[in-house]
Amino acid sequence: MGPVEPGEGTRAWDTPDPDAPADTPPRQLPRDGRPERHRRAVLAATAAVLLLAGGGYLYATRPHQLPRPAPEPAPPPYPSQVVDVAYLEPAPAQSGAAPRSFGLTVLVSVTAGPPVTVTRITQPYAGLVLTPEPRPPLRIAAGTARKIVVTMRVTECGKVPENAGLPFLDVTLRNTRAIEVHSYILGSRYAHALSDGLHVACGNDFR
Amino acid sequence: MRQRSLIAITAALAAGALTLTACGSRGGDKGSDSGKGGTTVTIGVDAPLTGDLSALGLGIKNSADLAAKTANKKNYVKGVTFKIEARDDQAQPSSGQQNATALVADKNVLGVVGPLNSSVAESMQKVFDDAKLVEVSPANTGPALTQGPDWRTKKVRQFKSYFRTATTDAIQGPFAAQYLYNDAKKKKVFVIDDKKTYGAGLAGTFTDEFKKLGGKIVGTEHINPDAKDFSAIATEVKKSGADVVYYGGEYPQAGPLSKQIKAAGAKIPLVGGDGIYDPTFIKLAGADSTGDLATSVGAPVESLPSAKQFVADYKAAGYKDEYAAYGGYSYDSAWAIIEAVKKVVDDNGGKLPDDARAKVTAAMQNVSFDGVTGKVSFDEFGDATNKQLTVYAVKNGAWAAEKSGTYTG
Repeated sequence: MGPVEPGEGTRAWDTPDPDAPADTPPRQLPRDGRPERHRRAVLAATAAVLLLAGGGYLYATRPHQLPRPAPEPAPPPYPSQVVDVAYLEPAPAQSGAAPRSFGLTVLVSVTAGPPVTVTRITQPYAGLVLTPEPRPPLRIAAGTARKIVVTMRVTECGKVPENAGLPFLDVTLRNTRAIEVHSYILGSRYAHALSDGLHVACGNDFR
Repeated sequence: MRQRSLIAITAALAAGALTLTACGSRGGDKGSDSGKGGTTVTIGVDAPLTGDLSALGLGIKNSADLAAKTANKKNYVKGVTFKIEARDDQAQPSSGQQNATALVADKNVLGVVGPLNSSVAESMQKVFDDAKLVEVSPANTGPALTQGPDWRTKKVRQFKSYFRTATTDAIQGPFAAQYLYNDAKKKKVFVIDDKKTYGAGLAGTFTDEFKKLGGKIVGTEHINPDAKDFSAIATEVKKSGADVVYYGGEYPQAGPLSKQIKAAGAKIPLVGGDGIYDPTFIKLAGADSTGDLATSVGAPVESLPSAKQFVADYKAAGYKDEYAAYGGYSYDSAWAIIEAVKKVVDDNGGKLPDDARAKVTAAMQNVSFDGVTGKVSFDEFGDATNKQLTVYAVKNGAWAAEKSGTYTG
């Protein structure tokens, strides 16, 4: 099959016009009568506008540019997650203290979040009564700490453990998030101090 | 001509810029491409991926995988892509040791998450330590692994390459004893264990504290870890007059044991440690398990905002297995390795040094970050400084938190 020949009424663009100068492109008026150069400029501009419009649409509708609702502020932490309770030392004996009683000093600190209120401190043994000083409720702000002396009074030596390994205090905590009862296991120093106090208070009266 | 060129150039530039912008916006939803080159660091995982304890092991593997993917997505360590190499130890010490040897042989492995079982850990520790390859267990609770066989009287660190994010049975056993004696008012306990490192150790620390509190041990028994028929022991429990059973072991045996004790007529709770804290225990123990108790490491998920995020991410990742009891601790274990690698890379001008394993192991000692389970850091023995525990009870066919405690000693 031979090359495609121009048909009637058509003209090959690269065929030189014998009447025109050799370096001048063939002039041909478009159907609307405007010059070819003008028509190309309009086409280019139209293409640019279309691209801009299309691109703009894509840009405006891309997923991550959609307006996002402002993230909800994180709720305050649960109080047990921001409160530390540490045993410090035996408290000096107070004059006029009840018989068979002794004091232990603990430090309650709040590391973050809204203030936490200590509403109650208890211990679990049946033969022992705990009194905290200062008396709850105690409000403690983040970044601060309060010393609390817990006075233990033995009511029945047969119902206290002589040397518990990991005794704990139950502390009721409250903040704007929740109220929780949390056990603080104060470690071997506290266990020894508690055991020493109980031995002094009860002598040989353990079960 | 000049005007035409300007229009054409403007159009081309606009089209190019807009195309790039549009492409960029779509790619951003997938996050950073994790496979974009640089160095690949492998985090080994060793856990029981098949067998009775696979529910826990698969949760460990998937959670470590989630940590690696999260680090890659965030491009957390520039130039480093993390991947997971998981190996199945079938809860067997011998398999664990083989896995440890294989992980050591792979030079891309710069840290290992696992194992689940303390007995398996015993067989792996020296292999890793000889190679200065750091190991972070999310689940080992045996005190001797970090503090030595005489931990009750003299604590001595065993291996500088061994760390764990879970707390130990030195706290878990006494915590259970305190709860049972003081809160649940149980005074007579029958203690059973499976003779394994974890089970026997936990039963031991529980027994010591329960006796110190004034409780009575009305019977003790040991079971074979492969056994499923406990009818003889169940009868013995019934005869003993115990008001509670403490079991040191894992849920594949604890479930049937609980069921058979109740069937023998002893309507008393069975209590165990983190080894029974899994939904599978409730399935195996049946409806009569209501009131059974377990202590487990950590605070309840609902009290930790960071854990909620983990739960959501785990779900979104589409893993078919649950993250189970150690998911959060496994994520934190893997993330601790990622943090240590980051420290080493940052200190070495953005590249891994030749002795990366030793440096990562050394960096682990000072790692500190806010993890899924709270603040993650390690003490002088390699133990977690965050020592929280929770008592869970079976209620309406699921575990429900009863009481949480924090060790601050």
